[in-house]
Amino acid sequence: MELINNDDSTWTLFKVSELEHLMLIRFPESADSTGCEEASSRLFPSPIAPGSDLDKEKKSSADSDWKEYIEPELRVEFRDSLKIVADDLGKAKMTKDEEVNYYEFNIPTAHADHWCSALNQARLVIHYRYNLPDEDGVLDMDPNPEKWMATLQSEIYGMLMEFLIKKVLWVA
Amino acid sequence: MLIEGSNVEIETSPVAEAEVLDQLTQPWQVMILNDPVNLMSFVTLVLRRIFGYSEEKATELMLKVHFEGSAIVWTGEREKAELYVQQLQTHQLYAVMEPID
Repeated sequence: MELINNDDSTWTLFKVSELEHLMLIRFPESADSTGCEEASSRLFPSPIAPGSDLDKEKKSSADSDWKEYIEPELRVEFRDSLKIVADDLGKAKMTKDEEVNYYEFNIPTAHADHWCSALNQARLVIHYRYNLPDEDGVLDMDPNPEKWMATLQSEIYGMLMEFLIKKVLWVA
Repeated sequence: MLIEGSNVEIETSPVAEAEVLDQLTQPWQVMILNDPVNLMSFVTLVLRRIFGYSEEKATELMLKVHFEGSAIVWTGEREKAELYVQQLQTHQLYAVMEPID
């Protein structure tokens, strides 16, 4: 998988292997925190620091205001990013190189933030849903194939995020 | 208590007045808590963008979050603290706030 600049406000992610493509197209369902309370709490946390001295009543009022006014805005932002990325991925083209299938697709520079948001949402949900280890960059060879797949998926998303941060967003 | 810019006077107890004044002037701190998922480069990028911090300062704060579990990234009035927490949470950082005694 490589990322190149097209000099026209778009980037092309090319030489995406079939496995990487498979991992990428799984992201909308992976980013859905339904049924995983820990992931939902992490994506939509209370605004008040745990262990804060704020009295119970004030904390509860701040929490309910946040749930009523801010959380819906966060949900819309997160959903919009997922949709934009799904649309970009839907335009992927398949190419062949020495009889091996690859995919490539364009990422408009203006979508880079949405890509990071979508990939990060998925990484957060995957982490809590599959209870992945906390260490950085450890591809845990878990005997559970679903958990191993989730780890690989999270690593690929992290690698793509690093590309986007270093090549696209850091300089923007 | 006389409402500013009007002739309306409302009756409040000195205790209630002091509490309102406290709430308006009490500073809050915005903190980022460590989580095992967010990439270090992403946290640094978000801190640079939202607060306009230099790369050095953003990196220093990110490392503090990573190694010490949390870092205070901004201090000031509550309304602005809420805005910053929202912006940080929009980037899925584990951002929270609390009043400073």
